[in-house]
Amino acid sequence: MSLPADQELIEQWRGEPAPLLPLLHAFHDRDGYLSDHALRLIAPALGIPLADLYGTVTFYHHFARDPRRTQDAPRVCTGPVCRLHGGEELLAALAHEGATAMPCAGRCDDPVPVLRGHEVLIGASPATMTAPPPRLPSPNPGGREECIFAEIRTPDRATLAGYERTGGYAGLTRALDEMTPQAVIRHVRESGLAGRGGAGFPTGVKWRAVADAEGQPKYVICNADEGEPGCFKDRVILDFDPHAVIEGMLIAAYATGARAGFIYLRYEYPQSQVILERAIEEAYAAGYLGEHILDSGFHFDIYIRRGAGAYICGEETALLNSLEGKHPFPRNRPPYPVTHGFEGKPTAVNNVETLAAVPQILRREPSWYQNLGLGDIAGTKIISLSGDVQRPGNYEVPFGLPLQTLLYDWAGGPLPGRTIQAATMAGLSGGFLAGDDLDVTLDEPGVRSKGSFLGAGGIMVFDDRRDMRAVTHNAIAFFAHESCGKCFPCRIGTQRLTERLNGGGPADAAAWHAEVADIAFTMKETSACGLGMAAPAVVESFVRYFPDQVAGKR
Amino acid sequence: MNETEQIELTLTLDGELVTFTLGETLYEVAQRYGREIPTLCYDPRLEAFGACRLCMVDVQGTRNPVASCTTVAQLDTVVHTESERLARHRRTLLEMVASENGGAVSVDPLRGYASQELGLLIERCDARTDRFAGAHSGTSKLDDANPFILRDYDRCISCYRCVRVCAEQEGDYAISIANRGFQTQIVTEFDHDLRDSACTFCGQCVQTCPTGALADRKALRNA
Ligand SMILES: Cc1cc2nc3c(=O)[nH]c(=O)nc-3n(C[C@H](O)[C@H](O)[C@H](O)COP(=O)(O)O)c2cc1C
Ligand code: SF4
Ligand code: SF4
Ligand code: FES
Repeated sequence: MSLPADQELIEQWRGEPAPLLPLLHAFHDRDGYLSDHALRLIAPALGIPLADLYGTVTFYHHFARDPRRTQDAPRVCTGPVCRLHGGEELLAALAHEGATAMPCAGRCDDPVPVLRGHEVLIGASPATMTAPPPRLPSPNPGGREECIFAEIRTPDRATLAGYERTGGYAGLTRALDEMTPQAVIRHVRESGLAGRGGAGFPTGVKWRAVADAEGQPKYVICNADEGEPGCFKDRVILDFDPHAVIEGMLIAAYATGARAGFIYLRYEYPQSQVILERAIEEAYAAGYLGEHILDSGFHFDIYIRRGAGAYICGEETALLNSLEGKHPFPRNRPPYPVTHGFEGKPTAVNNVETLAAVPQILRREPSWYQNLGLGDIAGTKIISLSGDVQRPGNYEVPFGLPLQTLLYDWAGGPLPGRTIQAATMAGLSGGFLAGDDLDVTLDEPGVRSKGSFLGAGGIMVFDDRRDMRAVTHNAIAFFAHESCGKCFPCRIGTQRLTERLNGGGPADAAAWHAEVADIAFTMKETSACGLGMAAPAVVESFVRYFPDQVAGKR
Repeated sequence: MNETEQIELTLTLDGELVTFTLGETLYEVAQRYGREIPTLCYDPRLEAFGACRLCMVDVQGTRNPVASCTTVAQLDTVVHTESERLARHRRTLLEMVASENGGAVSVDPLRGYASQELGLLIERCDARTDRFAGAHSGTSKLDDANPFILRDYDRCISCYRCVRVCAEQEGDYAISIANRGFQTQIVTEFDHDLRDSACTFCGQCVQTCPTGALADRKALRNA
């Protein structure tokens, strides 16, 4: 079979919504890299200045630009957990194939992932690398009632037939048959569901704002960028329960009045893309997507758009710029996406986990979801737990569960003979908790009372063997690697903190501490987005909990 | 009384009740009332961008200070343009910026109209130039063979005024931003020389550059 010609690719995508990323991927997949020739064709076809397109392409780290190092050159995860499991050594062992390092690829429960073209391989050495299926979450160890994972272990749940057998699309059917969009929003608001992508904004309130906003068409965006190190929950939902995400988007669209939606999927999840594409196809064939859904007057289309390796593209306004083919800097807010989102139109951006909870809530009463939480906070949260514990994996916990219960009773505690030295919160964005502060309940008020936050729910555990300075250096280097470069405090601050965790900065201890404190203070209060505001937490918590390791290794 | 009669829009600026018009930013209001808020990424001809964060002001009821250049004035807000906290942030930001080029900030005024901005601000805000030592950002392209524009990016602080003036004022889109974070670099398409790009040598980028990273070769030659 001959490869598609340049013009075919351009014609295929030019008229589609949000065409830049898929068109770049089409050339990237065909040629193995993005040639100057390809960019010279794409720029005029999409009306993007060539200099802008060139600059934007260099922003995305998975786009190969060199024919000698194509997308088939291995990308090896050297994230916080994978480097405990030989990530760096594997990178060295694959050097002859042109391997490069990539940040956390969301397989922390299965280290070490290697991305090669469209394949994800797992292994500790080149000889043992295989492509195993993703891991299902184990049955709830606390015997707790679940929302999102309740049916995820049922065989064939990922197929339409399996999904329908286990209550699938009952939420959508109920909404369309019995409820007005206003009633759906009220139902979701009363359930207490809040955003699971990190910011925790009440979902019903967000939908209300989109529904009330002027401007057409409106959009729903599923944020499946999952770039936070130590988070791999959205991948498991997409892989084992794709229809739940589709149904959640449909309900969001009905409630807000949206006609089209995007799933912005991170580059590192090629298998999830295949699963999602098949599920979307099935949903169209069964009349759940497209025109006159379930014979109603409701229409909705979903488009998948694949990212290209940039953590900041999970930040919702950078995501919007990325979709629109612009340089993926975050936007200044206000205005917010609810009024000025995709192409300036009202847009609901929601996380995968948030959307997956919606069908379950719509099938039942709001109080059911409310009551899943142990304390004042409604519902459940998926925690991606990894690192030095006996049973890493995704756990659906009721809000209010003590962290110690999760670590010791559910996940089996540290490895034999070891003790837990520290655990990260919110992936890396919440920094570390250690010592007595590990006595905390898993909910925002609880974790915030310790000066951190729960966020997207990634927890990485480090036992007493670990050099916390090295862990911290690696963590702040991630933020430096991912800083978009728009605002001064983060662009310079992440770099300077990284250097100071790597032996740099003033030799005098007091001057070193003063510099670190000043950088952190200004980053937290003046950065233009959440990345720069959160990044100093790893350094500050390291300095606070481990003064000996600071002094010893500086 | 006519119900549609416009109510006067007012807010409190450093303890003084002041008026503003719909859509005006806090920076514009403060400037009209004689406040000299420091900025580096601001150029009144360009859309406010919000990169340097020097223009931060305190707004009662918000935890963190806000960038006045991108914040639209709202009725009855209470704004402070000076405080100990703001002074500390501005100093730290300027000291970080100075560290990008190893503390070397003074340049020949002939380089360009705005070339003294960074140096003057550092003096005014009592910022040091010997803190936050570390890697250098930006790589000069002194060999870009053209008689007009010197591209001395060792002095670049990634304010993107040049990129924005080229796009917004000239419509040339000759230059853009490559890479990200501390690796950011101002480039033409494929990082070639200016004469192989869409550049028309209008010199707007030179005149808006606040550090002299872009310089007027003719002026320097004739000096
Ligand atoms: C640096 C940064 C990265 C983010 N990455 C993600 C992400 O990968 N997935 C996600 O859902 N939200 C991410 N967010 C949060 C989004 O901006 C946004 O709040 C969220 O998608 C809204 O959905 P929710 O209300 O359902 O949580 C990120 C935020 C920041 C500041
Ligand atoms: S905080 Fe960092 S990631 Fe966010 S806008 Fe500023 S430079 Fe970009
Ligand atoms: S060259 Fe000058 S104007 Fe352009 S980004 Fe650098 S400092 Fe700003
Ligand atoms: S002038 Fe407001 S951020 Fe630079």
